[in-house]
Amino acid sequence: MAKIVVSPERFSLVFFDAERIAELTGQVADKIGLPDDLELRIEVDERMPLGRTKISSLDPVTLSVEGGAFEDAKRPRHLSDRSVQDVLGRMLLRVKDRLDPNFENAPADENLSLQQLVAWTVYSEGRCERLGLPTQKQRWLYHFRNRHGFSDVADAAFDRLWNADALTWSDIDLICAETQRARDELANPGVR
Amino acid sequence: MADPKKPRPAFAPWDRRELPGSFTVEETARRVGHYKWVEMRLFEALGGWVATVPELDVKMRLGTHCYKHAWHAELWHKRLPELREMNPDRLTAPANDDVVAFMDALTAPERTDQTIEKLVGVYRVLIPHKIAAYTYHLNNTSTITDAPTIRSLKLILSDEFEDWRDGEMLIQSLLEMESEVRRAADRQAALEAILLRAGGIAGPGSIGFPVASAPPTSEEVLT
Amino acid sequence: MRRHLPADALARDDRFVRWTLEDRISDPRAAARRAVSSSGGPDGSGGSGPTAKNRVGFNPSRPGAPDQARALMHGIFVGELQALEGAGRTCFDFDTGSGTDEVPLELKLDMARQCWDEARHCEISVKLGEWMGTEIGEFAENIFLFEAACNPDPVLRLVGVNRALEGLAIDVFNTMKEFGDSAGDPFLSFCEDWMLADEVTHVKMGSDWLRRLTEKDPARRDRALEFQRVVDRLFSTGGFRGEEKDSPIKLARKFREMAGFSTEEIDVVAEEARQARAEMTDKVAGP
Repeated sequence: MAKIVVSPERFSLVFFDAERIAELTGQVADKIGLPDDLELRIEVDERMPLGRTKISSLDPVTLSVEGGAFEDAKRPRHLSDRSVQDVLGRMLLRVKDRLDPNFENAPADENLSLQQLVAWTVYSEGRCERLGLPTQKQRWLYHFRNRHGFSDVADAAFDRLWNADALTWSDIDLICAETQRARDELANPGVR
Repeated sequence: MADPKKPRPAFAPWDRRELPGSFTVEETARRVGHYKWVEMRLFEALGGWVATVPELDVKMRLGTHCYKHAWHAELWHKRLPELREMNPDRLTAPANDDVVAFMDALTAPERTDQTIEKLVGVYRVLIPHKIAAYTYHLNNTSTITDAPTIRSLKLILSDEFEDWRDGEMLIQSLLEMESEVRRAADRQAALEAILLRAGGIAGPGSIGFPVASAPPTSEEVLT
Repeated sequence: MRRHLPADALARDDRFVRWTLEDRISDPRAAARRAVSSSGGPDGSGGSGPTAKNRVGFNPSRPGAPDQARALMHGIFVGELQALEGAGRTCFDFDTGSGTDEVPLELKLDMARQCWDEARHCEISVKLGEWMGTEIGEFAENIFLFEAACNPDPVLRLVGVNRALEGLAIDVFNTMKEFGDSAGDPFLSFCEDWMLADEVTHVKMGSDWLRRLTEKDPARRDRALEFQRVVDRLFSTGGFRGEEKDSPIKLARKFREMAGFSTEEIDVVAEEARQARAEMTDKVAGP
């Protein structure tokens, strides 16, 4: 199991348990197949009930998470195992992808377009489902449609991303280009 | 081309409507006033129950049905002045004290675990009795002189049949154990007994048969 | 069946969890939340893209916007449930008549019609939730809508529900409709527009009845409008609603005018919203 550090060690504004977060992180990391010698840092900003997340560093792997991302939406300030597994599943898969040479062309996170980001997320979420991690397919389909269009082309692209296991960054980029063409055609029919 | 001046019968051969009807203007107004009172109590109860039932599908359906019975009350409210009752409130009354007792018993359940009792009262007792009373009225009033009442009855009956079906299906979907079937049956029997004493939603003669004011006791039945 | 049901007696199945106004106010993170514009639910975005800096209001171009829309849609759903329950209770809680504590038959008939409309809105919201990938009960339910609006005085109830609550619904539906339009969602803006039409009717009902019931009692009318201001203020807590660019929910002036609000009345709501926002800003800034 990877070495995991959760900060803060003690939470004062929310009822989170750092040990539990570490335990869940370890389980997710093992399912994903991250190397045992990888150091994982999970930094939780408990002041923020919002849900923004970020891969702050790849060496060591550092995930910065606003507290709301791990929170139980029905019991505010309480930890949700499901939310932790859901969020970490897709983030750690993206980490794994970034460590893969097939993704060396991928832009830095802050330079990803919304379309690229959600496409990559869908690719991650599909793998999460097959690994037995919690996910919400219809939710991500909605996200995907919002960015790639409400169309048969977009839905077909979603299915390809969701069901794939070994894509490269180029594959993802090509899919984004395909849906962009479809959106352009819809906006300007007859123009090539 | 036919001669436009050639006399034609006032009633086409397929129009078999006749003048006679069982109800005078006053009797019709009396019944309509009773119908209106019942529809009002019903829509108020359905509206009040919405917040007390936890089952989401039942909750939404009660909201829809609340409106339908309110609309029925409105149709009757508008009919009364047309029947020479310029003060509709005067005739908006229960047929007798037993009808009041029935509606009080119908609307009594309020706990969140009493959805079966609430629905059975409405959909296995009251609405079937309304359908019976409205059908009797529809079939016995003058098809010519009382056409407006007939129109309202037909529109209302269409709603009643739909609501009856909706409610019955909800009840069937809620009954999962024999004990619940018995609960539903007991509730139905208790309310039927009160309505029997009332004579129906418009009192004795609601469906044409005069009904005894109280059911016979077992002693009377045996002797 | 008793009259005037307390809000904590609203019946729900096991999927629903309640979050009270007290819970919300006592959350020690509340101040930190207001310091940053709302960004919606977990999005795994890592703060990426050219719009990362564009953290204003309910902005469709922000990474978390679809999740924000989902959460808002669930909020709409539970709001419609409470509106349905409120309209239903108004049919039952008062005797029919012309007394101060009574309501005319025609008002009850209008409330019954509103029951139907709100039931339909619940149905629409459930279907839209399915479309957006939201489960019923996925988010905690706040019942302060029912609490704030359902007053035992029939006239206060009317303004609380039909002018304040339904007025908020107009603002929210308009915001969602615009979100749907910008995203190209074929169902969202279509459905929101149909619901918007109904809400305009409901507000108009409230405005018309307020005028009729208080025609000969200006003091009662003033009390009612004051109550409406209080409720409107609650609904604008923390700058949730307003006319500023970063207000998550924008005041929908055009539709409010259609519904019978005068310009002056809309200005009052806008001013209450500005004051609510300023209060929260001061709280965040600290002494």
